[in-house]
Amino acid sequence: MKRFWVLVAAVAVVAGFVVAAEVPLGGRTAGAARPYEGTTIRAVVNAEYVKYSLSLVEKDLYDKLGIKLDIEVIPLDAFVAKTLLEFNGGKSPWDLVMFGPSNMPDYGRHFEPLEPWISKLKLDFQMDDIPDVYKKLMLRHNQKIVSMPYDGDIHIMFWNKVAFERPENKKKFKAKYGRDLAPPQTFKQWDELAEFFNGWGWDGSDKKLFGAGASYKPSSSGYSYHWWRARFFAYGGMYFDQNMKPLINGPAAVRALEEMVRTMPYYPPGVLLFESEEPKTLLIKGEVPMLYSWTSTGKRVGNPSESVIAGKAGFGIVPGAEIDGKVIHRPALTPGRAMAVSIYSQKKEATMKVLEFISLPEQSLKIVMDPKTIMDPWRISHLRADKFRKAFPGAGEYLDAIEKSFPYVVPDPVIPGANEYQRKLSFEITEALAKRKSPKDALDSAAVEWEKITDRRGREKQRGMWGEKLHEMKQVGIEYQPDWAAKAK
Amino acid sequence: MRAVATATAPAFTRRLARSRVRRWAGSGLTYLGLAAALVFFLGPFFWIVTTSLKGNEDFFSFPPRWIPLEPSLAHYERLFTKASGLRYFGNSLLVSTLSMFAALVVSLPTAYSIARWRFGGGALSTVLLVLRMLPAIALIIPVYLMYRAFGLTNSYLGLILLYTVVYIPFAVWLLVGFLRDFPVEIEEAALIDGCTRLKALIRVVVPIIAPGLAVVALFAFIATWNEFLFAVVLTGIETKTMMVLVTSFTSGGTDMFYGEASASVVLGVLPAFAVAFALQRYLVKGLALGGTKG
Repeated sequence: MKRFWVLVAAVAVVAGFVVAAEVPLGGRTAGAARPYEGTTIRAVVNAEYVKYSLSLVEKDLYDKLGIKLDIEVIPLDAFVAKTLLEFNGGKSPWDLVMFGPSNMPDYGRHFEPLEPWISKLKLDFQMDDIPDVYKKLMLRHNQKIVSMPYDGDIHIMFWNKVAFERPENKKKFKAKYGRDLAPPQTFKQWDELAEFFNGWGWDGSDKKLFGAGASYKPSSSGYSYHWWRARFFAYGGMYFDQNMKPLINGPAAVRALEEMVRTMPYYPPGVLLFESEEPKTLLIKGEVPMLYSWTSTGKRVGNPSESVIAGKAGFGIVPGAEIDGKVIHRPALTPGRAMAVSIYSQKKEATMKVLEFISLPEQSLKIVMDPKTIMDPWRISHLRADKFRKAFPGAGEYLDAIEKSFPYVVPDPVIPGANEYQRKLSFEITEALAKRKSPKDALDSAAVEWEKITDRRGREKQRGMWGEKLHEMKQVGIEYQPDWAAKAK
Repeated sequence: MRAVATATAPAFTRRLARSRVRRWAGSGLTYLGLAAALVFFLGPFFWIVTTSLKGNEDFFSFPPRWIPLEPSLAHYERLFTKASGLRYFGNSLLVSTLSMFAALVVSLPTAYSIARWRFGGGALSTVLLVLRMLPAIALIIPVYLMYRAFGLTNSYLGLILLYTVVYIPFAVWLLVGFLRDFPVEIEEAALIDGCTRLKALIRVVVPIIAPGLAVVALFAFIATWNEFLFAVVLTGIETKTMMVLVTSFTSGGTDMFYGEASASVVLGVLPAFAVAFALQRYLVKGLALGGTKG
């Protein structure tokens, strides 16, 4: 009996030790693994698919930090007005804010600078893994980093290899143009190819297929403007001079638009109403042989369940112009998306941790790889990740094309009212494409509208902001070249 | 005589045949026109309904797949589980129903006092109507600032209050017409029989003008359900309505969520459709009744 009680006592002592050791240990483990347990961060984004993209990292975020996200979706068309209405009133219901970096001048003062928090919390945003164009042009306000990229959003070129590799097509092209059939390097070649491919079955069918794809709708996102500016900048154009005089009706601008008007017959009917998805669908259904568009197109191109060109697609840099024997490329860096911490947030520390977490290479890779998100890669490591490079046939070539494009991309005019400038210009470009105005008249009208916007926003203030942007653009090699419009081949 | 009869019979038969052909052709054209109108108006809705039941691979199939081979409610499920659809659907239902009742409760006595005692002189009903003509976009900024000062943004109360105020003028204007049509003698008989004014209004007037009230309720419900501008500006994560969710899916450049977008449109339309269906027997009667005076 005595032995029994000794045994019981020993078991109780051991159990007590185990419990005593386990409970605090467990508690500490949970505490260490989830240091912000019970915290909910309120985020705002502009579409359901962006909310979906955050859901891809939500579980890991909770497991690692104990933070949950409550995400508000404000529809795209109302997003800027509604969020700025809240911010300009001096508060915000959100901690984490998604925004278009082109609107940084309007949003920037409402965002918390990152550097003090980087030192305080030992955050690591792995800035060396981010291309210069984002670091120098898109993430800063008043020279301070206030945001991190979320969606890369640049244009690259896609083509259907069937169109370019069929022996009959090669022979026919050589006979007509005297050179080999190959994906275009310049817009002159692009236009020739669009003319060549338009109106016949270049895939071997008896269908009347189209010459090329594009999005020319003059919506608030300014599709026609994005398609025009790749030519405009390749011909040496620039938005304004240093005194805020618009340069969008100069020789480079007019030449770019004249070419687009002239080649309109080679594009599918309805191109003036196309937003981003319609030409992508035409490309993956094998109805247009080439398209330049957002990089997210590549994920659809490589998806065999919807794409007839999966494994048969080529990827490259958007065409440019040959200047003095060298091809200059100027693909568009369109608004994209970035994330920032609201200066009015009551949970800045936890929100900074969330921003760091969703920007980590492995977490952001999940977001940019998922074909449903249309979020584009923005880290160098995204482009070199084995997982991504094996995600679909041709993925490596696709990611290489993005990496090659980064050094040449041109951003929107990142000054206050960027959206207004773009919308007016896009409207006038589409007026010319619809042949309701001549290219010169349309661009002159746009320039007049730009002057009005500048005056309304305050010419001196705008000139100051634009001066900074001109300087930053010069740093990444983007400058006004008035003589290129005449030289460009 | 016989010869005349013989001669006229074929002519009559021919006339009869011609008239029949004309009548058939007329009916045929009418039905054709109606069918075309039906296709025109219901075609897009049919497409949305079938798209909400299709798999992703069928959205852009060519030739188009009009009826999904394997209809699925997966998009609806995702709408409810991943996109807060249930919460926003519930919000819309709550706000629309309460705004509808609040508009009725406030506008009926107002309309009654205008119709019976010319409360506010002849101008009040006109002034109310003019208020209704102000575009929402002109009101949104001052309303937002006022709401923020009073802490009413992102609250059900704020939304219900606003929609009630917005729809009262129209409701009063409609009800004044119904009440002026109502024979005052019936009401006086009720008063002689010992009813108070309030009892006479509730027990005698309301049952008879029920079709008019149904029209007002229907308009208030549908208008609140479909309202977007105030909903997007004044709501937050907790109080968003269905129309804001629909727009979150349908605006902005991807076709990856067409299924959920279509499901949200179908769900966005159904309650208004159900209320209209439930009240339809009052609707025509009510509209005709209110149309005689106003």
